[in-house]
Amino acid sequence: MKYTILFGGEAGQGPNILTNILGQALVKQGYHVFYSRDYQSLIRGGHNFNVLTFSDKPIHSNESKIDILVSLDEDTETMHKDSLKKEAVVLKGHDENMYYAGRLFKLLGLNFEVLEQELKELEKRFEENMKEAKKGYEDERDCVCQLKHGKGDAVFMNGNQGISEGAVKSGLDIYYAYPMTPATPVLGELAEVQEEKNILVLELENEISVINAGIGSAMTGAKVMVGTSGGGFDLMTEGISLAGMAEVPMVIYLSQRPGPATGVATYTAQGDLNIARHSGHGEFNRIVLAPGNPKECQELISQAFYLSQIFAIPSIIISDKHLGESFYTIEEKPKITHSRKLASMMRYNSYEKDKEGSATENPEIIKENIEARIKKNKEIEKETEKVDRVNVYGKKHSKNVIVSWGSTKGAILDAIEDLDVEFIQVLYIEPFPDIKKELEKKNVILIENNATGMLGELIAEKTGIFIEDKNKILKYDGRPFFHDELKKEIEGRLGK
Amino acid sequence: MNPLDTKTKNTWCPGCFNFQILAGVKNAIAKSRIKKEDFAIVTGIGCHAKIFDYVNLNGINTLHGRVLPTCFGIKIGNPNLNVIGFAGDGDAYAEGMAHLIHAARYNSDIKYFVHNNQVFALTVGQPTPTTEIGFKDKTTPQGVKIYPMNPIKLMLASGASFVARVFSDVQQIEYIFKEALKHKGFAFIEVIQPCLIFHPESYKEKFYSLDEAKHDRTNFEQAWKRAQEFDYNGVDEKTKIPLGIFYQIQKPVFEEQYPQLLDLKKKKISWKDIRR
Repeated sequence: MKYTILFGGEAGQGPNILTNILGQALVKQGYHVFYSRDYQSLIRGGHNFNVLTFSDKPIHSNESKIDILVSLDEDTETMHKDSLKKEAVVLKGHDENMYYAGRLFKLLGLNFEVLEQELKELEKRFEENMKEAKKGYEDERDCVCQLKHGKGDAVFMNGNQGISEGAVKSGLDIYYAYPMTPATPVLGELAEVQEEKNILVLELENEISVINAGIGSAMTGAKVMVGTSGGGFDLMTEGISLAGMAEVPMVIYLSQRPGPATGVATYTAQGDLNIARHSGHGEFNRIVLAPGNPKECQELISQAFYLSQIFAIPSIIISDKHLGESFYTIEEKPKITHSRKLASMMRYNSYEKDKEGSATENPEIIKENIEARIKKNKEIEKETEKVDRVNVYGKKHSKNVIVSWGSTKGAILDAIEDLDVEFIQVLYIEPFPDIKKELEKKNVILIENNATGMLGELIAEKTGIFIEDKNKILKYDGRPFFHDELKKEIEGRLGK
Repeated sequence: MNPLDTKTKNTWCPGCFNFQILAGVKNAIAKSRIKKEDFAIVTGIGCHAKIFDYVNLNGINTLHGRVLPTCFGIKIGNPNLNVIGFAGDGDAYAEGMAHLIHAARYNSDIKYFVHNNQVFALTVGQPTPTTEIGFKDKTTPQGVKIYPMNPIKLMLASGASFVARVFSDVQQIEYIFKEALKHKGFAFIEVIQPCLIFHPESYKEKFYSLDEAKHDRTNFEQAWKRAQEFDYNGVDEKTKIPLGIFYQIQKPVFEEQYPQLLDLKKKKISWKDIRR
């Protein structure tokens, strides 16, 4: 079984609280839940909606067709009527969102006590919420399904929470940022726990200041992370080059949204793979990691801290709006890689430096320094062979292979369930794993949330394997993939 | 050998006023009785930045314009360090201008010396934001058309808690370094520094001491008035250039407003020492 519910309304009407309540409640009953957020760049009004898909089996993405539509405003029904299934239920005509919570829980056959528990945890407006919820629960006469009550202990979290929790578990001391959607929630998540966890979270005047202050703090031995989206990352690139030259450990969280320039502020894309790989002038080492769900956010950020510390280099962890702000059901505990603080105050330089730390123009020392930095490449390669640089799913040894990275993972996993295809998810963009053997003589299908297939270019560069244009499934309208639509796209490209 | 010396060969021009600044800084540090390890210095890019190579202290010769965010980061990373920044007028007033205004707002305990020679010297003579109208070089054959900015006024308007100007002379540098070190919070010190090659004007006859003029450094209106006496746009027979501390007040210091940082100060440790 699988159901998809859309909650739509104006900004400020509270579709998020409603989606959260249902999502949390379902996870606690042992169901698998995924929900994504679609919101505009405005504060009040407009049209925002969340899509929640749940199932008794693992689910990591949304279906495009809707079983239940909750319309908090008048526009929602009109705007989404083409996505409704034939037998879809539409809830509308009421002002209070908790009234809808009551109706929904009844509609799904859940006991009222389950909802009451969620309202208790919400704390705010408990009495009023209860009144509305009860009214909705009583008013609802239909039943879409009879959900079983059970006990689930999975964690319901989004990618930004994964990044934040992962950073704290990795021993983060200081986080610097300048607000930019969709990375801003990390600033909020970390600020909220800063006193409890004894970390420091500071918002500075711009991203240039953020990265340079980060480097200053990292020089003293602190574990530092900075976070931004593409536009802010552009500004940070001089600092990434500096971290490469001065050999300062630094973790940079890059949460993508559609670009170039301001792009589309509150939507999703995977267009920054190349800048993550190539940002900063000169030749230096870096790590670029791409998690595909909140659990991987935690694991990979801990690896980013570890590798940055060991090799005194910048590590970039690349996510996007879809991964950052969508909620996933996480069943397994993340494996955190712990690391020590290895940097310490000494004489650093943005110039090539001699043994004393002073600037030098001596050709032999310049050559020596560069070779010492480049030599780390081999050690990094060796060190990262110890961890999974790719995840492999689907049908082993199939002649069809999907390659992708980052937030597309969820929709791909859900789409390929009963297809004859293997799926290779690349976690390490840099250093890139050797996947030539896995792709050779296969029908390779590329899936990315961008227009040019940047991972495809990277694969061609590293393996010499060129993925045919007709095998590239690319989406670049600011929206994530829906698994049912993606499944059709994949089916059309499978080799017989 | 002076423990503050390095082995690096000095490459400033003979007679450069940077030598005066270097000597003043070294004297002040030696007399401060603060341990070498408790200092961190940050320099920008330009002739001034070579001071990093000639003073054997920890820190970084950082990117152009980024002296202040780097100083700030070091101070946040270890609030027990005495963090001293050196920048040129290109660093401070062109490339890194936004940071300067915010540093004054933050009032982090950083001492910031701007070597203002009113010219980009190391790139051989282009005008900066404090170069006078009419200045000509290869890149400005028609002469500078834009009125120079007044950094002292800017700092006063930005809420800096310590605003000073000195000439690049050993005694003045030593004096102001000591005063700045005593000050709790952000100290902005502009050092008037002739560039013998590209901007040799020394203003020698025009200086007067604010202390001798009985200037009240806690009086903002007085400071503001004095700041306007020299507009950086050349001098004539009436020009007077005040030197000394224009303004000094005690304001909340950035590091003292976060319990996390106060704790580090109290325990005399840095984040590096915190085990998790």
